[in-house]
Amino acid sequence: MMSRKVMLLGEIGVGKSSLARRLVFDKFEFDYKPTIGVDIYRYEVPDSPGRPRMTLIVWDTDGNFGEAMFKHIYMKEAAGALIIGDMSRPPTLETMSKLGQGFSEKFPGRHIGYIVNKTDLVQNPDMLALPPFLTRPGASLARTSAKTGSHVAEAFIHAADAIARRSV
Amino acid sequence: MPLTPSLAAASEHFTASEQSVYEVGAIAASFGFFGVIWLDRQLLVLDSYGWLVDFVQRGQPVTDSILPVIGLEDEIIALRNSPDRVIELPAVAVAEAGRTAHKMNFTFFWNSAQDGPIVLAYRSSSQTELEIELSKQIRARLMAEAEVTAKSKELARANADLESFAAIVSHDLKAPLRHVRCLAEAAAQDPAGSSDAELLQKLHDIEAQAQRMSQMLTALFDYSELGRKYEALEIVDTLALMETIRRTFSRSSMAIKIDGQWPALSTLKALLDLVLRNLINNAAQHHDRDSGVIVVACRDSQQALVMTVSDDGPGIAAEHHASIFLPFRTLACVDTARSTGMGLAMVKKAVESAGGTISVASNPALQRGTTFTIHWPKYISL
Repeated sequence: MMSRKVMLLGEIGVGKSSLARRLVFDKFEFDYKPTIGVDIYRYEVPDSPGRPRMTLIVWDTDGNFGEAMFKHIYMKEAAGALIIGDMSRPPTLETMSKLGQGFSEKFPGRHIGYIVNKTDLVQNPDMLALPPFLTRPGASLARTSAKTGSHVAEAFIHAADAIARRSV
Repeated sequence: MPLTPSLAAASEHFTASEQSVYEVGAIAASFGFFGVIWLDRQLLVLDSYGWLVDFVQRGQPVTDSILPVIGLEDEIIALRNSPDRVIELPAVAVAEAGRTAHKMNFTFFWNSAQDGPIVLAYRSSSQTELEIELSKQIRARLMAEAEVTAKSKELARANADLESFAAIVSHDLKAPLRHVRCLAEAAAQDPAGSSDAELLQKLHDIEAQAQRMSQMLTALFDYSELGRKYEALEIVDTLALMETIRRTFSRSSMAIKIDGQWPALSTLKALLDLVLRNLINNAAQHHDRDSGVIVVACRDSQQALVMTVSDDGPGIAAEHHASIFLPFRTLACVDTARSTGMGLAMVKKAVESAGGTISVASNPALQRGTTFTIHWPKYISL
């Protein structure tokens, strides 16, 4: 069994913990409790032809860390990062760009997936314009709702596939 | 607190600090150290993460509690070369369904006597409260910084507005004032030589100029306010917005046709509304025929919405293309126009406030009609 460490990064309140809890426990909690430090989740990725069996060790970080996170020991040996923004709060999408840049500089060649969360708050989420860095060719982008579960597992499975392909 | 790299000292430290123990499997007890877990260096690295050899050898799977160590193996092994160094891994919890997981603090250091690493794993409620407090303080600081940045931007905008405001007031408002003064002087210089009708006409002219000046001041105030009243970004269905503008457009003799793709986007709704509404009004107001067609189209380019407002009016000569966007400029006769000449100036200011651009294309010598093209950014940063 291959286990890989994946960081969840993003501003406070974008839904990092909600995504992780939806993924692992298939639950959504309406009470918002900010994460202090790090919560770690284990996610057994469903088998897929061509990919070794994999466990994702998901590190759900405190949004307060921001870019300082890249210097922290928490990031050691991260095989990839999922960078999350809140579709209903455009400034959080802007932060995603900075976090993505910081991660790719610190961990060149590692997978970066972008998740725009809270699609349940927006009508026609697929129609909503997003910052260009999210929609550029080759960017890994998922529009999710931790509340409804929409596209959550797909985003993490896609990350697992990408990590396996990169043999990190 | 410096930690002595020995098991005994570690144990003492742990007891003395009165921290409760976080059990990482049953291994801790097997070593006789309460809350101290001995990890031989060969335990730490395996070809795949998630399992530690030693635990496997003992027939026990690694509990989820040890997950935080995964990925740190090399870092921990490197402690051997730095015996005084410790690795702190604070406030880590392994999430559990249905309840709040206890935050754990890991401290790694090297035990020279055993030539292997030690990890202290403990939790402390007081420390968690401290972390919560620190987190609150960090959050408050970040919010304060964001507020300062926003205020700085607003101040810069206000200064720029003030400069343009002063220039306009000093230049354009002098015209009606000068007119009033001339009329008043003429009336005062030769009151006996003027007939009552002439005097009355001069008074009417003075009143008209005063009224004109009042309109200009009102328009100028609206112009200066524009961009200061920054609203929050909101998700706007641009097609619905255009439909509303068309529905509420008062001049039924002008047909408004909506064309192209109008996406939803997060934007400054009132500014976008002002831009489209003013351009449509402008097209209708300066049309030289009883009826006409105004086509409002949109296409989605990579970074901006490209919107066009086209009319089949008389057109605008090229020499006026730059000046029509200046405050108080109108191509219609000032005395007869209902316009204050601020409409297009406000449109330009609104577009630029949103970070966009506007241009005009028209060549009356070749064909009728004018097209205004707006590049409205799809993504606006306040």
